[in-house]
Amino acid sequence: MSVLPWCVAAWLFAVGIYGIATSRHYVHLVGCLSVCQSATYVLLLAVGFHWHAGPPIFYDHPPGTPAVDPVVQALVLTDIVIGATVTALLLAIVVQAHKLSGSVDPQRLRPLRPNA
Amino acid sequence: MAPAATFLPLAVLLPLGAAAALLMLSHWLPPRSADMAATIVSLLLAVLCGWLAWRGLDQPIVHWFAGWNPASAGRPDVRLGISFAADAPSAAVSAFYALLFAASFVFSWGYFDKVHAHFHVLMLLFLAAMIGFCLTRDLFNLFVWFELMSIAAFALTAYPLRESSLEGALNFIVTNTIASFSMLMGIGILYARTGTLDFALMAHAIAGHDGALAAGGFCLLAVALMTKAAIVPFHFWLSDAHAVAPSPVSVIFSGAMVSAGCFGLFKIVIGIFPLDRAVVAFVHDGLPWFGIVTAILGGLTAWAQRHLKRLLAFSTIAHLGIVLIGVATLTPAGEAGMLLYIGGHGLIKAALFMIAGILLARFNSCDEITLYGRGRSLWPAGLAMAVGALLLANAPVGLLYRAGDVIDHAIGWRTASVAAVLSSALTGGALLRAAARIFLGCSGAPGPERNAPTEREREKSDRPLWLMLLPCCLLLALALLPADLLEPFLRRAARTLLASSNMDAAATAALRQTLPASAFLAPGLAVGLAFLSLMRRRPVSRIARAAARLEMLPFRGLDILHSGFVTDYVVWMALGLGAIAMVFSLT
Repeated sequence: MSVLPWCVAAWLFAVGIYGIATSRHYVHLVGCLSVCQSATYVLLLAVGFHWHAGPPIFYDHPPGTPAVDPVVQALVLTDIVIGATVTALLLAIVVQAHKLSGSVDPQRLRPLRPNA
Repeated sequence: MAPAATFLPLAVLLPLGAAAALLMLSHWLPPRSADMAATIVSLLLAVLCGWLAWRGLDQPIVHWFAGWNPASAGRPDVRLGISFAADAPSAAVSAFYALLFAASFVFSWGYFDKVHAHFHVLMLLFLAAMIGFCLTRDLFNLFVWFELMSIAAFALTAYPLRESSLEGALNFIVTNTIASFSMLMGIGILYARTGTLDFALMAHAIAGHDGALAAGGFCLLAVALMTKAAIVPFHFWLSDAHAVAPSPVSVIFSGAMVSAGCFGLFKIVIGIFPLDRAVVAFVHDGLPWFGIVTAILGGLTAWAQRHLKRLLAFSTIAHLGIVLIGVATLTPAGEAGMLLYIGGHGLIKAALFMIAGILLARFNSCDEITLYGRGRSLWPAGLAMAVGALLLANAPVGLLYRAGDVIDHAIGWRTASVAAVLSSALTGGALLRAAARIFLGCSGAPGPERNAPTEREREKSDRPLWLMLLPCCLLLALALLPADLLEPFLRRAARTLLASSNMDAAATAALRQTLPASAFLAPGLAVGLAFLSLMRRRPVSRIARAAARLEMLPFRGLDILHSGFVTDYVVWMALGLGAIAMVFSLT
């Protein structure tokens, strides 16, 4: 297994975190969160990958032929479902917050404002 | 299969099934039936998990789902199935969580009757996730329960759909989602290293080979669980989420969810890494420092709050620091103390959040300065709050004191003892001060707490007072139980769990039989601090004003640190990951 996918995963995660830390719009922030999540996809798929191996489906070739690891693929699938749930929930809350406060700037929205 | 193993999946199937049934029937059910059903289900679960804990005392009860047991793979190094294992500590913690949920359901009786049964559905999902999180023995399964727990918690925080609660929920979601990504990456790395997700096989694969991969995987898992457990510098989301969630939900957050993070860390360390020298060294020598900083910082920030729920949130952070120190002891006695601390702290904190909820329901505020003297008519709540505050300040009676004492003995660090005394005294003192202001009308010019964030909010007010006070007083009574009833059980439980690893099992420190004078140090300090702050007068002379400004400075710094902006919190999390990696390389 080459080092490249690990570097890509680390880079994606770092870029996503940077995007979140500097974000001025919640929809953008949710996008950056998805970038962070892509890092986990890349990492997991890289973990299960083998050169010259087919998909782990033994419908048309006999069991025992080299295949990539199906476990991590199942993990990625679960991860995607969870990611979709979280994104939907976040966007729904952002819409509600926008209705109430008129802003979607993460550097302006804060719970319990200081009592100045 | 033994009957106990057959019944084990019921611990999650029952709440999941009940949640699904309530969701289907919510439009037809008569009012209050959802309250009743949810309470009964949680009580049943508490009984079931308690029974499992008792049965699993010597040998964990294991259930392989769908019969995919280790034998079915035909090879000893492959496990295809996913299992639940009810060892005594896990089942006992699950039973405790179910009990807290039951109390919270009674407390919220009629609170949410406008919204059909959605609150109960979410809470039951939350409970199922927490129990699954405690019982599972498969790392990815652990992640799924962790995530289900988070999502239920996110939705419950945003539930009131007010500006603050939405913004608090956003902070909560973003930070905890990043934590779960970190956990998933850790799982991926550990899977790459071991080729399995089963706790026992992973431990076997990792044993003896100290490698960078296992260490990196552990650090990423630790980031996720420490974020859930609100350890500095991952703690920022907690004060936002707890302060703005509806009070029955805050009861669960503070009493159960946060400590589940610490318990998960404990399970992973003894389940997967018991034989990895680098990880054990980090947990034993590095983690206490995180706990100490958390305890002191949480205590100081709690002292400078006026919004009661926010104050309680910071006090939770402080006490979770002590739980983390308990995790780091890695001795049967210390871990028994940690479990007892989770119980004692959860009971007291749940009761105190209920009192904050009562104040919100009656007066639409839980700000100690706004409510000055208005609580006189609610004197039983005031009494309960004073008892809770004293217990939190480590008054030498009940579960929490014994737990703190055991942890203190097991770790044996002077710095840790000082941190525990300081944080107990500061949080207890802040609560006593608030109780005296609200229920007795004691005055005193506000000090650093004057500039703290606060807000008026509204909670449904037509619930009978006795129904809200009843669970609160019951929980406090449980917290006052003599620890001797529970501690031998927990000690035996922790010993069986640690027996599989070769950790120091001999270190069972003898308990002090008589109360030393130092036992009264923390509660005495708390009372003293509260008294001093109530005696405070407006600074008139120039020197007094300069002194007051000087006193304000550090608290002002803490306030700036807890800015409320999620972008800052994410930067802190990245720095925290760096800190963990650095401490790891140093130990």
